[in-house]
Amino acid sequence: MNFGFLVGVFGVLILSHAAYSTIQYRGLLKIMEEEFSRPPINVILELIIGLALCMWAALTFPGKFLSIHPDSDENRAVSLPDNSDFMIFNHRGRLFPPEIDMKF
Amino acid sequence: MGSSEKRSKDIMSDIPTFSAENLQNNLKVIQNSRTFLSIIAGVLAGIIGFNGLTGFVFYFVVMLITSVGLMAKAGFSADLYFDSWNRVLFDGFLGGLMSFVLFWTFAYDLVHIF
Repeated sequence: MNFGFLVGVFGVLILSHAAYSTIQYRGLLKIMEEEFSRPPINVILELIIGLALCMWAALTFPGKFLSIHPDSDENRAVSLPDNSDFMIFNHRGRLFPPEIDMKF
Repeated sequence: MGSSEKRSKDIMSDIPTFSAENLQNNLKVIQNSRTFLSIIAGVLAGIIGFNGLTGFVFYFVVMLITSVGLMAKAGFSADLYFDSWNRVLFDGFLGGLMSFVLFWTFAYDLVHIF
């Protein structure tokens, strides 16, 4: 989790550096009295790199997907219920043949 | 015996059950990812200087890439993590749009006007 966070922060830093470069480029264009059509190529490259890093961080940082099947291996209910002291097993049900295949 | 012919295996496979709290966790993960990427897309659109419809097209492109990324994260098998494909692909599309426009105008003002 920490590595994804660092990658995200790094991506945001690259984006803010690209923003600052664009502001400087606009200042330069104002001096030369030209129109602004698009940022320079190196800024666009920085933006693509920043977007890729942020996308990677956004997919890994918020957390993993957990399986929703109730009988998958990682979803086992392994804790005993609180009223296990009140449960008795010496009743008539012990005469039935077991039908459930139980996982141990 | 006649009464025990309906085996408990049949009862257990009739009801589609799933762990609801894990499903909620997965939905929260998607929501967080999409919101963060909407904000990043807004900042990007503001820096590049998109005007009008081009910006919204850019937002949909980024959201499509996000959907592909989320599908890849789920291993292309939604049954394991969600109850339907639509949740993975289309959840949070429009909520992110508002964040996108907010940060788009914010970054555009910062870079081009101020």
